Amino acid sequence: MHAVTFEWSILIALAGAVVARPVSSVLGRHTGWAISLIPLFIFVSIFLHVAQVAGGEVLFSQLSWVPSLGVELAFRLDGFSLLFALLITGIGTLVTIYAGAYFAEKPSGELGRFLSLIMLFMTAMLGTVLSDNLIVMFVFWELTSLASFLLIGFDGHKEAARKSALQSLIVTGGGGLVLFAGIVVIGMTLGTFSFTEVLARSDELVASPWAGTIAVLVMIGAFTKSAQFPFHFWLPNAMAAPTPASAYLHSATMVKLGVFLLARFDGVFAEMPAYGHTLVVVGSLTMIVAALQALRAEGFKAVLAQSTVASLGILVMLIGLTGEVAAVATVGFILAHALYKAALFFCAGTAIHATGEASLNRLGGLARFLPITAVAAVLASLSMAGLPPFVGFISKEYLFEAQLANDWNIIPIAVAVLVNAVMVGVAGVVSIRPFYFKPERVSEVHHGETAGLLIGPMLLAAGGILIGLVPAPAAQWLIGPAASALYGQPIDVSFSLWHGLTPMLFLSALVVSIGALIVIKWTQIHTALKSFDHAYGFLGDRFYHGALNGVLGAARISTQTLQNGDQHRYTTIVLLTVIAGLVIAFFAAPSGDFLAGEGDIRISVALVLLLTVVGAGATIVVRSLIAGLVSVGIVGFGSAVIFMLNGAPDLALTQIAVETLIVILMTAVLLRLPSRTRHSRTVSERRRDGLIAGGFAAVMFVALASIGVTPVDLRLSEYFGETSYLEAYGRNVVNVILVDYRAIDTLGEIAVVAIATIAAWGLLRGAIKPLRTKE
Amino acid sequence: MSVIFSTMSRLFFVLMLVASIYMLFRGHNEPGGGFIGGLFAALAFALLALADSVAAARKALIVHPVVLIGSGLFLAFLSGLPGLFSDGSFLTHWWAELGSTHLGTATIFDIGVFMVVIGGVLALVFRFYEGVEQ
Repeated sequence: MHAVTFEWSILIALAGAVVARPVSSVLGRHTGWAISLIPLFIFVSIFLHVAQVAGGEVLFSQLSWVPSLGVELAFRLDGFSLLFALLITGIGTLVTIYAGAYFAEKPSGELGRFLSLIMLFMTAMLGTVLSDNLIVMFVFWELTSLASFLLIGFDGHKEAARKSALQSLIVTGGGGLVLFAGIVVIGMTLGTFSFTEVLARSDELVASPWAGTIAVLVMIGAFTKSAQFPFHFWLPNAMAAPTPASAYLHSATMVKLGVFLLARFDGVFAEMPAYGHTLVVVGSLTMIVAALQALRAEGFKAVLAQSTVASLGILVMLIGLTGEVAAVATVGFILAHALYKAALFFCAGTAIHATGEASLNRLGGLARFLPITAVAAVLASLSMAGLPPFVGFISKEYLFEAQLANDWNIIPIAVAVLVNAVMVGVAGVVSIRPFYFKPERVSEVHHGETAGLLIGPMLLAAGGILIGLVPAPAAQWLIGPAASALYGQPIDVSFSLWHGLTPMLFLSALVVSIGALIVIKWTQIHTALKSFDHAYGFLGDRFYHGALNGVLGAARISTQTLQNGDQHRYTTIVLLTVIAGLVIAFFAAPSGDFLAGEGDIRISVALVLLLTVVGAGATIVVRSLIAGLVSVGIVGFGSAVIFMLNGAPDLALTQIAVETLIVILMTAVLLRLPSRTRHSRTVSERRRDGLIAGGFAAVMFVALASIGVTPVDLRLSEYFGETSYLEAYGRNVVNVILVDYRAIDTLGEIAVVAIATIAAWGLLRGAIKPLRTKE
Repeated sequence: MSVIFSTMSRLFFVLMLVASIYMLFRGHNEPGGGFIGGLFAALAFALLALADSVAAARKALIVHPVVLIGSGLFLAFLSGLPGLFSDGSFLTHWWAELGSTHLGTATIFDIGVFMVVIGGVLALVFRFYEGVEQ
């Protein structure tokens, strides 16, 4: 196979998203296998670059996208993005296979829809990790939020799924906007959006007065994405997604993006001590909260989801630490976690799928029916528990080494020990309880294991033990290059099982002992923690719901006061706002002389104006709405004549056409209103309206008269006048501007017109009943 | 409606439609263009709907107004694509010289605007008049 240059992988994944749905109606149940070939192909083609990248090379590729804004479709493949790309496509391959089996009993269209979303998710992920341009990365970053929104809300008929999907979109999408602000500030400070250049000029960035702002904005964006405290609540709720999606989301994809971004920017902000310290504090807090929640959780997936949050906390803390050991520990933990977490989610999915039961308290003895899944679950959880000879053990040793190497006091180490012990507990509970504990609980399953359900967990569990036993190749080809890319200098990684009798080994032993205790006492701890439910409310999404309800409440109040359906009130608000704005502008003006009463009075113009005054006067006097409409029409046509007299035939033509249309449309509306002869306004209301109208007229008069005071800048008009025929072959400057110079604005405008009209048309559709009452 | 109004409206309908197309195509050099042309054409159909019936106007329009909106938007978008393949970027128009007249993708763009305006106005006008007719 010829290697595809890596940037094309994004397009190939996108093609997969496009074809998945149609393919599913042809291939039916085999769609999962067929589609899995696409991520497999990308995996292999990226894998072919491993030797190159391990040799210290960084591959670049660039396509022009929005050159005028300095935005290029620039991609970069270094050790770190290579590791991520391999995880995304590798686990992606297994997820598509697993999904094919998981959805076996559902209609094939549903599988097709799901696979299409998974491939879209993959596209977005690949784009984010490969982008070298920050704007391009942001676009893909937000696309991951959208894709996960669609996946979490996949079962749209369930309210919980819709709510969780919305929650994840609000939290991660909102965080993405904060990140965007950070990116824009970076662009303003350095004048570039290229990440490579930002990295090279990090001294400049850190020295600028905006450094603190940028760091905070980037951190908030990353924290929301990676579910760090206090934004942690959306991730456990996201398990409303179908299990194959959870496996992907929790192991290889979106939740790791925040970690990815923080790790990438660590190279930029490492010199700011506050950056590292914040990460350590936030990571530790997240670890504690998630560990407590994991002990309280009941559902199979819920326990796993909380442990993911804890793992993300560990990663954020590791990034906050300095030194090359921390870089190695970060990368090692990302790899180990991806392997075991995906496997465990696959096993959980198989167990829940087979029994239709999601609560750990009601599952038991599944090993009889799902023997291979049970083995895979045990292997994966041993890696999660950090026992030798699994890769999880090595990565945990590195975690402690990194902590001990930093001049941090005892508290973070104690937190890490406790949280890791909880992880051991979680590992024990999710592998032993449902599969080997209390065999009398589950006496039969709906269906057993199929090949598609087994390949994923078996391969991942085997990978965990293989890398643990023979760590050298992984260390040399994957972990080393990735850690070097993070650290900024080549690191010689010696990733091995046996370190000798070190303090790390002692801490590991401590972790395992406490963890074993947690496994044994799980039920008691669980019950004890459950009794504090009220206190835990604050750790969940209560704050989110409060904020959301607050926003909705504010919207309701503003709608009731400002948009109550009374046209008089709308007009009053608009006119008063204009009056206030203009009066403030008059007072703020540098000179007090507004009225430029220059020039001669032109008889023709004056006559037309007189006519419009008559029209306006008639509008006030007439009692019938139709007559009022016609009188207002006089004012409109009068303006058209003024335009004509001042040499603007385009404007005049438009004004005439629009004026006629308004009369036609309004007549149609008015014909449907009940005709009333008397005015509904009281005398005092009319007096007040007159006052507002008079005030509006006065400020408008002053504003218009003051236009002549400032000299008109003719540069643009002259430029358009001179170049319109030469460059766009048109003598009508107005039209040339519309269709050529500013064509993209026009395109945007007609798009707005189209959407607004279709929306209004849809609202009116079928809703119109003849309202006309004949009196 | 009176017979005179109905008969005359047919004549005016044709005249206004021709005028609108004239407006559309001369727009690049003289007052006119897709927006004004579109408004004139929409007026022509609105007149037909007023004088005759909405059903007659819909029939004369052949396609549904909403379809017209979509096609117009799409056409305007398409007209920008050639620019991507030349040295320019999206919506940098291509021009060809035919004797003394210049033909270019800008005209296609203007036709798109023309269609969106007709469709947009008529979608609402027809809807309102149908409410009145019942």
